[in-house]
Amino acid sequence: MPLARIRRALIAILFIAITPFCAWTQGTLQPIPPLSGHVIDQTGTLSTADTQALESQLAALEQTRGAQVVVLMVASTAPEDIAAYANRVGNQWKIGRRDVGDGVLVLVAKNDRKMRIEVAKALEGAIPDIAAARIIDSAMKPRFQQNDYAGGLSAAATQLAARIGAEALPPPPEAGHTPQGINDHSFFDWTDFAIFLFFGVMVAGPLARSIFGSALGGLLVGGGVGVLAFVFTASLLLSIGAGVIALLYTWIFGGSSAPVALGQGGGTSGSWGHGGSGGGYSGSSSSDSGGFSSGGGGDFGGGGASGDW
Amino acid sequence: MMMTMRRFLALGTLLLATLALGGCGYNDFQRLDEQTKAAWSEVLNQYQRRADLVPNIVATVKGEANFEQETLTRVVEARAKATAIQVTPETLNNPEAFNKFQQAQGELSGALSRLMVVSERYPTLQANQGFRDLRVTLEGTENRITVARNRYIQTVQDYNVLARSFPTNLTAMAFSYTPKPSFTVANEAQISVPPTVDFGASKAKP
Repeated sequence: MPLARIRRALIAILFIAITPFCAWTQGTLQPIPPLSGHVIDQTGTLSTADTQALESQLAALEQTRGAQVVVLMVASTAPEDIAAYANRVGNQWKIGRRDVGDGVLVLVAKNDRKMRIEVAKALEGAIPDIAAARIIDSAMKPRFQQNDYAGGLSAAATQLAARIGAEALPPPPEAGHTPQGINDHSFFDWTDFAIFLFFGVMVAGPLARSIFGSALGGLLVGGGVGVLAFVFTASLLLSIGAGVIALLYTWIFGGSSAPVALGQGGGTSGSWGHGGSGGGYSGSSSSDSGGFSSGGGGDFGGGGASGDW
Repeated sequence: MMMTMRRFLALGTLLLATLALGGCGYNDFQRLDEQTKAAWSEVLNQYQRRADLVPNIVATVKGEANFEQETLTRVVEARAKATAIQVTPETLNNPEAFNKFQQAQGELSGALSRLMVVSERYPTLQANQGFRDLRVTLEGTENRITVARNRYIQTVQDYNVLARSFPTNLTAMAFSYTPKPSFTVANEAQISVPPTVDFGASKAKP
């Protein structure tokens, strides 16, 4: 009985000890808002017309030059420094074309009375820190002091566009088409898959033969490999090829010893590895309701400048 | 008999395959090792950028008549000390040298921020466009250093987790991959004490 009481007390103490910690960890950093457009105003400062004007201004820049400039207004970045928060937002959103990485984040922390222009590495040449500071001092600061947030942001966008326009960036792919959304090319490793299939067939082939007999075993392994290849590459030709090779392998070499199997398997693995790079996931997420989406290429290394008003 | 032999062979191959695929993590070590080296180079790159910036700042500030000499000499000395340390790729595998490097850079950071605070008291300096530009550049450089350090810490974390967690630590032992040192807070004792706020009589020197 006392033991149970002690245990209950211990659990209570544990909870008391943990609860403030949880609250603390949750309350530490400002959340990063979802990237819903070129202009994200969380403070409700900009009127709808202002937002739309700014949005179309930035969208036009993206269409003509390809660079993505996003304006974010938050109430406060506390407890973080505005530079740290801007960097976190930039690296989470990864604005900027995938292969170019030309993104700029204009962040306004209204209650902190601070602003920052965070520049992705690809644009650090076009907008060096000093230029960003000049834009803040000349375009944003005086207007913000008169509560003209829309005017300040619009003027800053114009100056940013002029600087980006002067930089020799690769042109956007085609007019009237926003860059593709993030395609996760990297989440699936083709080499690993090829190696897996290679060893899988080598192991499963003899096993299936010894269990189901040579004819049925070969069919099973071939079919299995075909289905697997189809699931992962989404290419019918590739998967049929892989399946047939696995089938032949099991039929012909399933009964022989390992060295021969190794020699033959190497060929099949090569062919899969090759075919694998041809298939892909392109276009799977590009149909993003035709709206704005991050290019996914921006790498923010801390460039840009901060200011206050 | 032949059947069981074949099954054993198959099982053996399966075991070998799993080990070869994910078990030993040799390739992961190579990848993360290169990543930490690249991240480290970026850290050095940004520190170098700051060291290159210091002479310009010092020259500009010197132009200001009767600028606090002590602050200025401290910056110059800290820079000399920081750049005197030879940094090689082996520094990464030598925690002692790493700490020395970190300490020297930390001193330069302290001296520079002190200089910036002191410069607030000189209105002509504040009005000087050249100085303001240098200030912006220094701020940007400090930000870049922070980012580079964060990235280095991240990659080192990945590397160290791999070097210490179970199946891969055997590989680490076999090839003698030791955990790498990471950045720490220099003044840990100082920042764990809450700041004392005193709006009292004496106007504290900035």
